[in-house]
Amino acid sequence: MRSNHSTTSPGGPRRRWLPVGGVAFIAASALLLGGCAGGGAPSGGSGDSGGKVTLSFWNGFTGPDGPALQKVVDDFNASQDGVEVQTNIMPWDTLYQKVLTAAAGKDGPDIVAMSASRLPQYIDEGLYQPLDDYYTNADNDSEALASAAVNASIFDGKNYGVPVNLATMLMYYNKDLFTAAGLDPEKPPTSWDEFAAMVPKLTVDENGDGKPEQYAIALGDHETVPMYQPFLWNAGGGVVSEDGKTSELGSAGSLKALNFWVDLVKNKKASPVGLSGADADKLFTTGKAAIEIVGPWATTGFKDAGINFGLARQFAGPSAQTTLADVVSMSIPASADDSTKQAAYTFFKYWNSKDGQKTWAEGSGFPPTRSDIASDITTNPYPAVFGAPDIVDDSQVLLAGVAAGGTITTTIFEPTLQKALNGEGTVDELFPAASDQVQAELDK
Amino acid sequence: MHPAKKRVSRKAITAWLFLAPSLLVLGGFTLYPMIQAAYLSLTDYNLIRAAKWVGLDNYAELFGDDAFWNAFGNTVLYAAVVTPATIVLALALALFLDRQFVGRAFVRTAIFLPFIVSLGIIAIAWAFLLDPNIGLVSYWLSQIGIVAEQGVLSDPRWAMPAVMFVGVWKNVGFYMVIYLAGLQSIPEELREAARLDGANAWQRFRNVTLPLLSNQTMLVSVMALIASLQAFDQIYVMTHGGPFFRTETLVMLIYREGFQELRFGYGAAISWVLLLFVLILSITQYGFFQRRQVKY
Repeated sequence: MRSNHSTTSPGGPRRRWLPVGGVAFIAASALLLGGCAGGGAPSGGSGDSGGKVTLSFWNGFTGPDGPALQKVVDDFNASQDGVEVQTNIMPWDTLYQKVLTAAAGKDGPDIVAMSASRLPQYIDEGLYQPLDDYYTNADNDSEALASAAVNASIFDGKNYGVPVNLATMLMYYNKDLFTAAGLDPEKPPTSWDEFAAMVPKLTVDENGDGKPEQYAIALGDHETVPMYQPFLWNAGGGVVSEDGKTSELGSAGSLKALNFWVDLVKNKKASPVGLSGADADKLFTTGKAAIEIVGPWATTGFKDAGINFGLARQFAGPSAQTTLADVVSMSIPASADDSTKQAAYTFFKYWNSKDGQKTWAEGSGFPPTRSDIASDITTNPYPAVFGAPDIVDDSQVLLAGVAAGGTITTTIFEPTLQKALNGEGTVDELFPAASDQVQAELDK
Repeated sequence: MHPAKKRVSRKAITAWLFLAPSLLVLGGFTLYPMIQAAYLSLTDYNLIRAAKWVGLDNYAELFGDDAFWNAFGNTVLYAAVVTPATIVLALALALFLDRQFVGRAFVRTAIFLPFIVSLGIIAIAWAFLLDPNIGLVSYWLSQIGIVAEQGVLSDPRWAMPAVMFVGVWKNVGFYMVIYLAGLQSIPEELREAARLDGANAWQRFRNVTLPLLSNQTMLVSVMALIASLQAFDQIYVMTHGGPFFRTETLVMLIYREGFQELRFGYGAAISWVLLLFVLILSITQYGFFQRRQVKY
């Protein structure tokens, strides 16, 4: 049988087929984006058995806190000969994306810093190993650590992390804008009702186009440190119950808080709708918002922008004055061997020692993770403000130990809140339904 | 071995040798990941633990998943607006820029530029232009009555049109260049003959130019459709799929399920559904144009 391979017949059936195949191939290759390459067994850390152990430490302290972190690491490396820590500082979202692929490949980090809000998901996926023996070893002096910082990394009864920091959120307010509005610049609002009474003065729409030039508060509703969820605590509600098993989003307290705040923002224009955390910072930095609730990392930026700000404890809700705390913890991949783990423990111990925490707090402005060195921190006033005992004792980490916490925040709570703020349904319609979704995530 | 076949294979070997580099790249970076993704789509996989076989569970879950249908609807809407808009605009620009006028080279370059500029730079530029406080485009929009308090990108009514606009703007220059090349290959005699026969400008365009551009139109429409069904980059940078998933497309959802929810199997299942969807549409498109192709 003669084959016709070598000749093409223009317009013939073969030619007709080829371009179709070509189209299919373009379509297929263009879709490469969707193809998720994978494979490879989990790998060990880079514990070096002969002599010095080198540990790679991934974290996201890209801000002014980065140099402070590096200083503590340098001090640690100089303090002994056994362990060398090498930092790899990258933006947090990059870190969260890379850490799994790196662990699946063979070049994962030996120590990873992660926020308590993201940690449980990765623990649940099997990325990390429990570190309970760190806390049971009395040499590590972990009794002095703030309990909120230690408890943030507990999952299913085991502790998977050692704290890097403990950040409480405070209210930054622009004194100049308070004065201009005829308010006392030394008297920031102490309750929701006091704040609500100030909104008409602090939100200014000069040209009457319905878009204020200045807002009373900059409240982020997505890609931000959770702003609205602590409001639920302070009205007796919450996103989930304390044991993390039941959704509280549809409770009377939660609906009360959400109705109050959605009304203030949507109808009274206390804050713009649709702000990310970065947008909120920008608004406060440019003097277009009188108040922002944010953590200690923002101080440097506000000072550099020349904002005449005051710091105060966040206003109280009708039933509580609980402050949001964020904790970043250091964890060790499940695949790390014992020598890597022991070397990491040496570093953790140094990080949370009096010397380490003094350097960290003074350089970063974060409160120390230990409660026994407040009086040693003399060169920077902010650690004492953010670490004031009444604030730290009344602080809470959002969704700590809840594996679905990240999903609940980004795919249920924030979108539902944005719908309510954009007037696509009322709080009372939207949130009980969202509560069912949260429960479904918790039950998975 | 058949003697005729042997002669063929000598030529074939040469051909295969020339094709080998491309085939290796395509095989290694396209075909293999696709097959891998097909396998993953039948598993529960998080990169750390071994993949767990779940059969067609992912596909079954997908059809009852509101997030999937929302993303599917957004993808179809995006493609249905952006594809024709891009083609018509590319053709219009090509016709306009086919004439001689002062500054033609500058205008051509200006329109082509967004296609080659890095997405990071484009994103930063648009972030400035659409900034609710300092953005020039936001100012223009407010002048025509569109007051989006915190910028169009956070406004559920305007976020989708905004990413669509940038999608068209970014790619139209590339398709315009393809049309320009096509226009320049049309023999002047044909249009001249039509003119002598008394055809007016519209008739010359409709009956001479447009049919002779059918090859380009096919290429452009297939490519533009595939590109818009895979809209990801400008949406990821501009809105992250928000507000409340209003701009989340299928590729965004694949990314979210995979890299944020750590459900790589489920993400792979969505990418295979998208692949089949694109394949069916592309073959249909090809069949449609094949019947209308003009040869000269």
